[in-house]
Amino acid sequence: MGFLKTLLPGDIAAGLALTGKYFGRVFFSANRKKIRTQLKHFTQEYPEVKVRLAPRYRGRLTMLKDEQGEIKCVCCLACEKICPTQVISIEKGKKEGRKMPFPVRYDFEMERCIFCEFCVESCGFDSIILNHQFELAGYNREDFSLGLEGTSQNMFTASPVGHHSVAEDEKR
Amino acid sequence: MPSQAIPMTLTQTLTMGLIQILAVLIAVFIMVPLLTFAERKVIGYMQVRLGATRLAGGHVGITGPMNRAMWAMGKVPMLSLLRGLPIFIADALKLITKEDIIPAKADRGVFTLAPIISVMAAFGVFAAVAYFPGTLFVFPKGFPIVGGLPFQGFITDVNVGLLFILGLASVGVYGIVLGAWASNSKYPLLGSLRSAAQIISYEVPLTLSLLVPVLLSGSLNFKDMAVALATGQGLSPLAIIPLFIGFFIYLTCGFAETNRVPFDLAEAETELVAGFHTEYSGMKFGFFYLAEYANMIVVSALATAFFLGGHFLLPFGLQRFVPASAPFIGQPSFLFFFLKVCLILFAFLWVRATLPRYRYDQLMDVGWKWLIPLTLVNLFVAALIRFAF
Amino acid sequence: MFKNEEMEINLGPQHPSTHGVLRVKLRLDGETVVSCKPVIGYLHRGVEKICENKSYFQGQVWTDRMDYVASISNNLGWAEGVEKLFGIEVPRRAKYIRTLLTEQNRLASHLLWLATHALDIGAMTVFLYAFREREYLLDLFESFCGARLTTTAFRIGGLREDLPPGFIKQAQVFQDRFLDCVDEYETLLTENRIWKKRTIGVARLNAEDCIALGVTGPVLRAAGVPYDIRKAFPYAAYGEMAFEVPTRTEADTYARYLVRLAEMRQSHRIIQQCLEGLPEGPVMAKIPKILKSEVNEVYHPIEAPKGELGYYFVGEKGGTMPYRMHVRAPSFVNLQALPKMVEGRLLADVIAAIGTLDVVLGEIDR
Repeated sequence: MGFLKTLLPGDIAAGLALTGKYFGRVFFSANRKKIRTQLKHFTQEYPEVKVRLAPRYRGRLTMLKDEQGEIKCVCCLACEKICPTQVISIEKGKKEGRKMPFPVRYDFEMERCIFCEFCVESCGFDSIILNHQFELAGYNREDFSLGLEGTSQNMFTASPVGHHSVAEDEKR
Repeated sequence: MPSQAIPMTLTQTLTMGLIQILAVLIAVFIMVPLLTFAERKVIGYMQVRLGATRLAGGHVGITGPMNRAMWAMGKVPMLSLLRGLPIFIADALKLITKEDIIPAKADRGVFTLAPIISVMAAFGVFAAVAYFPGTLFVFPKGFPIVGGLPFQGFITDVNVGLLFILGLASVGVYGIVLGAWASNSKYPLLGSLRSAAQIISYEVPLTLSLLVPVLLSGSLNFKDMAVALATGQGLSPLAIIPLFIGFFIYLTCGFAETNRVPFDLAEAETELVAGFHTEYSGMKFGFFYLAEYANMIVVSALATAFFLGGHFLLPFGLQRFVPASAPFIGQPSFLFFFLKVCLILFAFLWVRATLPRYRYDQLMDVGWKWLIPLTLVNLFVAALIRFAF
Repeated sequence: MFKNEEMEINLGPQHPSTHGVLRVKLRLDGETVVSCKPVIGYLHRGVEKICENKSYFQGQVWTDRMDYVASISNNLGWAEGVEKLFGIEVPRRAKYIRTLLTEQNRLASHLLWLATHALDIGAMTVFLYAFREREYLLDLFESFCGARLTTTAFRIGGLREDLPPGFIKQAQVFQDRFLDCVDEYETLLTENRIWKKRTIGVARLNAEDCIALGVTGPVLRAAGVPYDIRKAFPYAAYGEMAFEVPTRTEADTYARYLVRLAEMRQSHRIIQQCLEGLPEGPVMAKIPKILKSEVNEVYHPIEAPKGELGYYFVGEKGGTMPYRMHVRAPSFVNLQALPKMVEGRLLADVIAAIGTLDVVLGEIDR
């Protein structure tokens, strides 16, 4: 019996049937002109088809402003303290017509950032968030140094380093 | 078959030969890159992904605007089945233009010679393969030099064609062994030893399984064998049994001969990094690559001709049940041959996507303990059928 | 003129199947392995030392980066270890969600193991099929905590946030189709003659050797020892879950393959119980903003996908950082079984043995 089983490759046929089934399924569905809602294959055609990110996705650190256009940050230094890799450094200062302390300098060194969101969690004033930007490659070390407005890259807008991706090329 | 009916001058013979050789070479040079593209696509589909799509299917380049527009409309780009097709040109260009590195401690002469041996053995085999047992077309009368001469479906009509093929095919392993030895590196060395042992073990059942068609057709001439086996003239209907078993044995050994999964021990990517061609780069590697795929085509062509009925429709000599007068299905056609070759090439890819790899000693085990006895029994059955019925 | 010579070969640190930067020094006689010596340390970052200079809250992010394919298990070990040190009681809902995510992470880890192990042995399609399911799980992790791999999923005292809306529905979709997917892998592997030949009797390690070498996890259970910390010392919500500890007695690669597949089915069962019996309530306990420890030490073992993952903390008086932190990493301990498994066998078995041990170099080198 075992001898016969060795001679007849039923096990191999079962495997071939499975891969063959998937071949047929993808072959006849992948190349329809219309994109099916229920995809039969698992390739995400990025960048043509945009990636769906979860609302909680942890991207690059971004600063927020309130309705008056004022920086929300009040320099409590909670984010600087909690940051496990010490990528945030803040210089406290004063600004005319503002009671709360004002960040004169807010440096964010993205090259060391590990995107853990501890800073956002520690912030009691909701003045920073992690946005959904994930195309963060850059050519220079300087591309990863972010600061307030007026510096070469500021933390209120999407990072220009993402410009090196194909998706950004398309937008321009 | 009287193919030499028309007398030819020496110039005509030489020119005709050159034309036929070039035709086959060009066909193979087109087939091989297409096969690598097919490999990406077929295996991709089997693994529920799309395979190569980026060339001529992406954002940029000539087709870029069209693709972008179609994506914007929420549609898969036109020609989506062929997206990524230019990758076969890109592959070839990459191999040709890449830096050709020869390791410092390598034996330069042999290192260079090895891929040439491999590729020459692989291409030499095509000389004796017949794609069509007669004239494909006749050059028109006004054609310079070769006017009025027939273009045959084979390069030469060797009367011991099969022996020639088997002999030349086993030369190919010298390329692997020498190249690996000349690399003066450890992983290639292991790969070459595996390859040598593998070829020795699998040459035997391969040849034995091919003896079945030889026995049944009573010839060694590629053309005559193909015709005799396909039409099944003078054969007992029982001949289908040894042919059927022989086909699977031959295919198994063919997989081993061409170093394909599940017998890809010589390169065994996850064990020996890249096996015998670890130290090769550029076009030298390209030659090994070319040889492997050319060998696949040869194995498929042989399986088609001897077991699957060659250029007739039905395999295993079943063609006898189709009246020869029937239009198209009763006639020999190059199309049938080509389709069957493609089918077997597809099987190569299919198996690659499905099966794990044997271990070195288990490969020997399968070869010596299972395939050789099986082929011997099969040969005995074939002999019995040939002479008793 | 002819002499026998043993060949020394470096398998790694750059090699397709050493799962990272493992280097194995092999002495080969032909293809037979004479001696085998794993060389580690190429990924050493000094996680233990770093964690001694970080507060109890901060240290968790380094646990993500140890066993990066099972980071949620590592997060759980850290969080529960710290909670044990400070005597924090976690709300029941948080415990259930932790169990749920940890089991999903076990699936993800086992799927990655299956994928790479099968790829090492040459079955390349299982790789993609397993990754297809793993992708779904990673998307679930992303929806819960915002990252796919380096999750930092839990917080000391519970969870940062509750499950996102739609999570349970998505998880249920996965639950409904996962068992069929396992059957697919089995179709390609379990009965396949080549797979059986490559794995049965290969890299055998019996129960005594396992215990002597400190090997835990599926490798130990495949040797017939039903030791599973989820059952032996229940943590999180495992005490309330009904599940079995699959064991085999053959102690070879095939047995470990079957044990892990059975574990995947059991994990599926646990996830189902978590989804159905998820209690209501808060997900975070009340904890002080700064944790100051007494002189105290704690060892907290959990059953990571690879084996016993233990976090050992020594607290000093008034310290906000651990005085000493040590990780008992299962991959590190399991790797020392490699020479025992492969010596005297063939080169191809080394690959199968590395695969079956399921090592992750981030955890070994730390």
